[in-house]
Amino acid sequence: MSFDTAFMLSTLPAFFKAVGVTLQVGAIAIATSLLVALLNATILVLRTPYLWRLVKGYVELARNTPLLIQLFFVYFALPSLGVKVSGFAAAIITLTFMGGAYLTEVLRAGVEAVPRAQLESGRSIGLSEGQLLRHVILPQAGILSLPALFANFVFLLKETTVVSAVAVPEILYTTKNYIALYYKTYEMLAVLTLLCVLIFLPLSLLLRYLERRLQHGQFGH
Amino acid sequence: MKTAPFAKLLAPLLGLALLAGCNKSEDPAKPAAASPPSSYLETIKARDKLIVGVFTDKPPFGFVDESGRYVGFDTDIGRRFAKDLLGDENKVEFVAVEPASRIPFLQSDKVDLILANMTVTPERKEAVDFTNPNLRVAVQAIVADGSPVQKLDDLADKTIIVTTGTTADIWLTKTHPDWKLLKFEKNTESLAALANGRGDAYAQDNLILFSWAKQNPGYRVLPQLLGDEAPIAPAVKKGNTELRDWVNTELAKLGEEKFLLKLYDQYVRKELSDDTKPESVIVEGGKWQG
Repeated sequence: MSFDTAFMLSTLPAFFKAVGVTLQVGAIAIATSLLVALLNATILVLRTPYLWRLVKGYVELARNTPLLIQLFFVYFALPSLGVKVSGFAAAIITLTFMGGAYLTEVLRAGVEAVPRAQLESGRSIGLSEGQLLRHVILPQAGILSLPALFANFVFLLKETTVVSAVAVPEILYTTKNYIALYYKTYEMLAVLTLLCVLIFLPLSLLLRYLERRLQHGQFGH
Repeated sequence: MKTAPFAKLLAPLLGLALLAGCNKSEDPAKPAAASPPSSYLETIKARDKLIVGVFTDKPPFGFVDESGRYVGFDTDIGRRFAKDLLGDENKVEFVAVEPASRIPFLQSDKVDLILANMTVTPERKEAVDFTNPNLRVAVQAIVADGSPVQKLDDLADKTIIVTTGTTADIWLTKTHPDWKLLKFEKNTESLAALANGRGDAYAQDNLILFSWAKQNPGYRVLPQLLGDEAPIAPAVKKGNTELRDWVNTELAKLGEEKFLLKLYDQYVRKELSDDTKPESVIVEGGKWQG
């Protein structure tokens, strides 16, 4: 079996579309996960009665069940309870469910990592709790969370390949489709690997650059 | 410094390309070196185990019984092959495959033989070597009883569920590229999607549909065939003429004792309507009459 480059090129338009779907699913899931995480982290930091226990429970549940199983549950099991969502919606729901939990932990860890001396200094110069949160805790917690936050963004984007299992036409679905139709296993896996490098590597590099820029102002530099 | 991460990430890709290259040089060499010590059958005998790719979710052809054993029409043929080749029907290792993974498993030497209800098509003949057939099949579509769909063309503006890499998938993709298909990896997932109403029809090998419809009332199979009736055959890796010839001889031998008919009675008969003739499903002795 030879390496059929002409065939690889002929599949590029379809892969172009698939990359679009991957980025779309990834971008939406990252945004919704971040929203969920901000809300959850606020509840955790403020120790809102009852709610914070609920958030803790959610984080444990979401982080300790595999994404594929969550996905199959939403897509194949929920319809028998009368809840039917499309493959795309199921993908966003489960990625948000999982991503939200991971990002909640990242933000919480960021807040906890702010040195206690900072809080005590703030209090000693007479800042109110609200001022303390706005001017001392959040700016530093945000910066401290960045590396883990960005790593999780890339992780979430990579996890989008799992949603090929519910017929969302992203890059892995497209790859498997071509392998199934034309049996060009090596060629299609090579295209897939190359696409992953082209999508994830620049993103990682960009995020690392941003991280360095944003962290420059840390600790009063 | 800057290129280091690039090089690291490209290495596996390069490896993949090299692997593809290796395969090319090995393939023609295998049949040429037919001398006994390096022959493929000797390799199997030295390993003392036949490795067969089977379905695990497609009753009655390949499924898991109550005790967790891989059984079925195809699967039991694999056991018999092991018995006749290695002297013990337990000297077989079954590897669970899905429709779309059957050919990649052969291409990457994960299995010796695929016995997973694979229909012979011109495209697949390019990728693997088929032995003589053991079954015959046609593709049809199943719809809910209440569906307005009466004939195939009514599906043009509907959503059709298929299992990735099946004959139905290939035929629909190539014959009607503009029809909307929803593709799942496993037969059971496709059936669950049909039951959940995620598509208007499910196109699949008719024996699977007949069998499922008998157990799940409320569905009807459209009479029209998608494409022609076709043979189903075991498959070996491209160029493995030695194992292919052995399987052909074996199928001819099993035909004399009507072995496939026994398996048909054991697994298939109860799944189909009473007026189905065994000859319309099984191909005894590997002798195909179209």
